[in-house]
Amino acid sequence: MYSPTNTDQQILAALAAGERTATARIYQENYHILNGWLIKNGGSSTDAADVFQEAMVVLFGKAQDKDFKLTCSIGTYLFAISKHLWYKKLQKKGRDPVFLQDNTGHEEDETGIAYEDNINAHHEREAHYDQLNTALDQIGEPCRSLLKAFYHQDKNMQEIAADFGYTNPDNAKNQKYKCLTRLRKLFYSMQAGG
Amino acid sequence: MSINNKNIWELAEGYLAGSIPQDEFARLKDRLSSDTVFASEFYEATDLIRSMEDGGKQKRFGNMLREIHQEQSTKQVQKKARQIWLNPQIWRTAAVAACVAIITSTLAIWTLKPSINKNESQYNTINRAVTDLKKVQEQQQEQQKQLKIDLDKTKKPTPPPSDVKYTGTGFALSNDGYFVTAYHVIFTKEDGYGDSVYILNRDGQYFKASLVNFNADADIAILKVEKPGFKFGKGELPYTFAAAKAGLGAQIFTLGYPKDDIVYSEGYISAKNGYAGNTMQYTLELPAGHGQSGSPVIDAKGTVLGLLTAVGSPGEENTYAVGTKALIDLLHTLPDATLHLPKAARMSKMTREQQIEKMEAYTFSVKVYKNM
Repeated sequence: MYSPTNTDQQILAALAAGERTATARIYQENYHILNGWLIKNGGSSTDAADVFQEAMVVLFGKAQDKDFKLTCSIGTYLFAISKHLWYKKLQKKGRDPVFLQDNTGHEEDETGIAYEDNINAHHEREAHYDQLNTALDQIGEPCRSLLKAFYHQDKNMQEIAADFGYTNPDNAKNQKYKCLTRLRKLFYSMQAGG
Repeated sequence: MSINNKNIWELAEGYLAGSIPQDEFARLKDRLSSDTVFASEFYEATDLIRSMEDGGKQKRFGNMLREIHQEQSTKQVQKKARQIWLNPQIWRTAAVAACVAIITSTLAIWTLKPSINKNESQYNTINRAVTDLKKVQEQQQEQQKQLKIDLDKTKKPTPPPSDVKYTGTGFALSNDGYFVTAYHVIFTKEDGYGDSVYILNRDGQYFKASLVNFNADADIAILKVEKPGFKFGKGELPYTFAAAKAGLGAQIFTLGYPKDDIVYSEGYISAKNGYAGNTMQYTLELPAGHGQSGSPVIDAKGTVLGLLTAVGSPGEENTYAVGTKALIDLLHTLPDATLHLPKAARMSKMTREQQIEKMEAYTFSVKVYKNM
């Protein structure tokens, strides 16, 4: 419905900022297309939700970079990423070889490689966050909960001071710094140890 | 406050937020370039904070996606349930409201206000149906246009006004209209058989074809062009069909229709058997893509060795072809005198270009139509 690319750019910026309206709109306009395709290609609606949400996260990750521009519509990008993610899943399950008949047309090889790169970068980021979360789970309380409240739940120091029973936000902040020091030691020692 | 009195986290946070005063920032830079121990600690700190922030952002985004999914799927169910109870008069009112909602929601995209308008979201489904309808209309118009072009170009039978569902490649078994393609081109698990099958030759002419026999295991289908008196080319087929399996390393080439133009590619037999040790098949080192299912695999002397059926999963570069033995076995199940395979090889002394030119008349695109 909105073809001009600058509009897509605006929507991308809103998506990158995590704005709900733009995100819900993109979701609503594109999810059913993938759902229909995936059901024809051996998937379920649950698979469609998983794959599409992962594709949205890939786009979200890419859109954090202000220089990122889409050369196609958001819908085309999401569909292509979703397809690649789905084929990867099938490959992991070790299904049959892919038949050679053509039903929807296929993208150029170069674009395919670009999609692969986007997906690989996304998986690397995920692995990094996973490691960080493992460290976070091991630093003990109250640090674990405090850092999660600040970074994951996006609470401010005032709320955290109230929730955790500190007399003022500055005390909570000092505690946060101590927790970050512990996290840093643990995280980098885990990395050094492989 | 001097930078020495601030702890490293406060500095790192300020640095990332860009909130360090200018003079302090200059001193920080000095220290980062002179004190390597401090610098490595500092960058570790900024890296960690950045990862925590980005990781948190992504986590919240993921949670939001799950909520949105939940909202949109429950809304759809509610809407469906409600529609059943609407009598025509109420329905008309609802339709008007939907039109308004479309305009509102378009505006919402342009302005990107983060607040959700209740009315807007209530009519999401109708909005989408309208868009879909529009898309279908556009598609139909495009098809009609294409049909007209085809009609003008060929003045020959044209394909039915339904969607091309699958395309593959086929090649002649006899000059009077029998040909072979991969069975999965005309029959898929998802969609079953198409409504009709047409071939499209290099001159842009369509001819309707019907199924004669098939072997699903071997992935071979034999079809025949329905038009009485039809001929693929001027004379008998220029190629023969190999009676025995060809050896490892044999040079091969293929012609097929991954797009509307015929495409040539060449390679060699890389394994005696095919996918998962299938003895009916060969494994080939040959680039192939979608739309080339059913393409002939031809050796240097112009003998057909088989037809392409599949490629390995992405990353595994193999191409698979079913050998002519399965095809000949299938031909034997047909009544005698149905068709006679050519016996004279007429391409053995030709150059590759001449072989290709000869083959082109007998190789064509196979299009399967099915109404959506």
